[in-house]
Amino acid sequence: MVKKSRISPIFRRAASHIFTKPATTQYPFVKPQLPDDARCKTVYEVTSCNVIDIGTGQKDGPTLDVRSITGSNCRVCVRDCPAAAIEIVEVEGKKRPQIRFDKCIFCHQCVESCPRGAIKSSIFYELATTDKCALIQKPHPNSKETKS
Amino acid sequence: MSNNKIDILSVVASKLGNRVQIQPGYLSTGTIIAQNGLHRNVLKTMIDADEKTGITAITGLDFGENLGVYYHVHTSNAFVTIKAEVPKDNPKIQTIIDLHPGAVFHELEVADLLGVVFEGHPTSGHFVLSENWPDGVYPLRKNVKANEVKLVPTPKSEEITLPENERLVKIIIGPQHPALLEPEKFAVTVDGEIVTKVEPRIGYVHRGIEKATESRTYLQDVYLVERICGICNSIHAAGFVECVEKIAKIEVPPRAKYLRVIALELNRLHSHLLTLGHAGLEIGYETLFQYFWRDREPIMDLIELTSGNRVYSSLMTIGGVRRDIKDTDIPKIKTTLKDLRGKLPFYRQVYENEPSLKLRMKNVGVLKRADALKLSVVGPVARGSGVDVDVRKDEPYEAYAEIPFKEIVYTTGDTWARMNVRMDEVEESINIIEYAIDNLPSGQFRIITPRSVPAGEAVNRVEAPRGELFYYVRSNGTDMPDRVKVRTPTFANIPAFLKTAIGESIADVPANFVSLDPCFSCTDR
Amino acid sequence: MIDFTLIFRILVFPGFTFIVLLTLFCDWVERKIEARIQNRVGPMVAGPAGILQPLADFIKLLTKEDIEPRDAKKTIFKFAPLLAFTIMIFALFFLPVDGTNIFSTGGFSGDLIVILAFSTIANFLLFLAGWASCNPYGTIGSARVLTQFLGYDIPLFLIALTPAFIAGSLSIAAISAYQASHLLPFIVLAPWAFVLFLIAIQAELEKDPFDVPHSESELVGGLETEFTGAKLAFLHLTRDVQIVFGSALVVELFLGGPNGPVFFGIPWFWYTLWFVLKLLAVVLISEYITTVFARFRIDQVLSGNWRILLPAALLSLMLTVALVTWVYPLVV
Repeated sequence: MVKKSRISPIFRRAASHIFTKPATTQYPFVKPQLPDDARCKTVYEVTSCNVIDIGTGQKDGPTLDVRSITGSNCRVCVRDCPAAAIEIVEVEGKKRPQIRFDKCIFCHQCVESCPRGAIKSSIFYELATTDKCALIQKPHPNSKETKS
Repeated sequence: MSNNKIDILSVVASKLGNRVQIQPGYLSTGTIIAQNGLHRNVLKTMIDADEKTGITAITGLDFGENLGVYYHVHTSNAFVTIKAEVPKDNPKIQTIIDLHPGAVFHELEVADLLGVVFEGHPTSGHFVLSENWPDGVYPLRKNVKANEVKLVPTPKSEEITLPENERLVKIIIGPQHPALLEPEKFAVTVDGEIVTKVEPRIGYVHRGIEKATESRTYLQDVYLVERICGICNSIHAAGFVECVEKIAKIEVPPRAKYLRVIALELNRLHSHLLTLGHAGLEIGYETLFQYFWRDREPIMDLIELTSGNRVYSSLMTIGGVRRDIKDTDIPKIKTTLKDLRGKLPFYRQVYENEPSLKLRMKNVGVLKRADALKLSVVGPVARGSGVDVDVRKDEPYEAYAEIPFKEIVYTTGDTWARMNVRMDEVEESINIIEYAIDNLPSGQFRIITPRSVPAGEAVNRVEAPRGELFYYVRSNGTDMPDRVKVRTPTFANIPAFLKTAIGESIADVPANFVSLDPCFSCTDR
Repeated sequence: MIDFTLIFRILVFPGFTFIVLLTLFCDWVERKIEARIQNRVGPMVAGPAGILQPLADFIKLLTKEDIEPRDAKKTIFKFAPLLAFTIMIFALFFLPVDGTNIFSTGGFSGDLIVILAFSTIANFLLFLAGWASCNPYGTIGSARVLTQFLGYDIPLFLIALTPAFIAGSLSIAAISAYQASHLLPFIVLAPWAFVLFLIAIQAELEKDPFDVPHSESELVGGLETEFTGAKLAFLHLTRDVQIVFGSALVVELFLGGPNGPVFFGIPWFWYTLWFVLKLLAVVLISEYITTVFARFRIDQVLSGNWRILLPAALLSLMLTVALVTWVYPLVV
């Protein structure tokens, strides 16, 4: 055995821990407090978005400089999403972005890129579900905000 | 550690000036264009002049008719790129593994992914690609589309070459093994209990990220590159973003530089605490593992406070950082760091005095300084063997030139020294963050940049928690990169493990292995 | 004539059911202590404060699929876990729990050696089980089990003779009766033997720091690698019964067995209570040692045995003999 110059402090610490409160947060009985700007599920505001149909709008189309958006076919969220989780679908005659949360990586680049702030962030994080279709967030055409 | 700085370019110019073309100041210290096997002469001149010369990476590129082979060489105070080209229909080039043994892995990778044949370096089988990848199809070539490749059926039984001597036993560790966090295979040949040879097979986590970056825009690539590794994610993003900013000649505001330093050092803190805990688990010390990870949780909460997510902070973007630190958060950051600093003396004493820990860690996996230099290891593995390489000091980036901190070097070279290097670096990181918060300059934290990047190329080196991380980006004027090359620190350190395991007991292999802090997602990309 | 008392004693109390319930309870206590030392909570959900967790684990394993490798030796593979479990429980029958042992006799002279032999046979069966599974990890793991327990058996026997010397008998009942009648447990009369015995038991039970045969980071599962389902359930239960057996041996030999003050005249209840309390104290100390140390390498384990523990056991025996012959008759 190695000669000890001092006793390792772990013996006392281990014994004293039997009487101290454990450091575990007992989720799901106790929920953690997230900061306000945590990057969780994104929430989409229909009235601010402005997608007009001028073509197929594929990802490798002409490059758009975000500063020059004046109101025509935006689709910047589609172009900038690293995971290709946003696609434009037609909902009651209007074209709207649909976000798929089974592909989303929650980077919130779409929140930053949208020139009109139509996509907002929220702190709702309990997205686990048994049905994959529940993860595809279709935009509701007439409401101010889609349900989170 | 020479006191007089060697001007490596003039040394090369004096010996071979008329046969090679030298461009000083281009791509860091300079670029040397050497054809027809002259890259060996250039490299030999540099090795003779400076003992700390080593290969950082070998990049293979596809230029259409030719294949480029770029050797990125680091010396004690310079970073030089040697460019060579071979025609695509006869891609032969001479090997350099006799001059520098640390180049073995790099040459194998370029041979596997681009089809360059290195004369004098026999390659058998795939190195990074899987067994059912068809021969003759090289994924990094421009004409190959990854989703159109037809895989061949897996060969029936993988040939395990049994050792010639009857007494030797071959034990295969991996790919699935509780000791390894990620799958890799190591075939260890033992004589009784002593290891005689280790043969690695990497590539189980290869996702083809370098090829994937070529079909995404720069902005999307920042997020893709961040996901090469789950632990050292910020530093990958930082390395890529700085490289792109060098090509586009974008100057980031000073506040953004300090904020980047804070994010990177928080990343380093949580990574080192993870490794220190994981080392405890490997030697059977579960209690130490639980204590370290309990103390790591407040750091994860800090990362969530500053960036919005506990693991992938995604703070870096081209032109700065994505969000600012709020003044209301600063007291909480300072309190958490003060608490962590108060816990460190306990862990230091455990490492000094705990008998069973010292029995498992001292004199295990010894890497001598000469071997460390020859194999060009990086990071805490090198600093534990007396080699003082730290990119934050050798080639400061971001705001590291203005922040005072110590470089930690131990000389014994065993597992215990490497773990102590990481523990002391935890304290240094706390110092750096506190200094950065106290001296945060005011102003913008981000500038808006155009989406497309002008044509050009750049190299960039940053210090990841595991060692030196290298990026090479080549742009062709559009908004998608032409070639992104990543050389991760564990890729450079695995040859060191192959060397240190020999001659020691097989029961020491887990402790030895975890001390080099392997991250196989980084290695395989 | 069917002796219903004997059948009750064997099957229910203090026999099979009592031992199994005590084992599960000790498993829970161990996990809770380990968790609290590591600053976490341990089992919390199954039953009040998680006390049903070991039972839940056992039942879960019983419901899993039972896979047998094609090359395994079928008979040994199937029966070794169950046989080892049976032998360990049988060895526990000889320890007086409620004043006398299961068979309501005073034991017989030499039953200390017999139960130590039973423990060795059970360990040997475990080694055979790992060997029969024909898996490289199983083979190496069971070889390490064999080297470790055979090596540490020798000092264990020698140190176990110390109380026998002081009490002058090889019968367990006589040893604990001696401690009761002289009101001096042997931990006071021979403390060096107590410490050495704890270390030897720690190595026999394969707990940290002598945890090598179970080390996941080197050996995946050790000898348990190929076992699934009911066989794995019984292997785990055997290991837990071994822990109870080792701790019970410490209690009997050094802490005075089940003897203690009796109130209100129900001797079997109070004897059992004192036995269980002393058992829990030993489990606490053993688990503390487990949590606080790292794992030794196999060569360090073996060299520790042959170079340190065996000479120490011999010295302890000589010291005890000297003390018993010349000192204790004057003092005790």
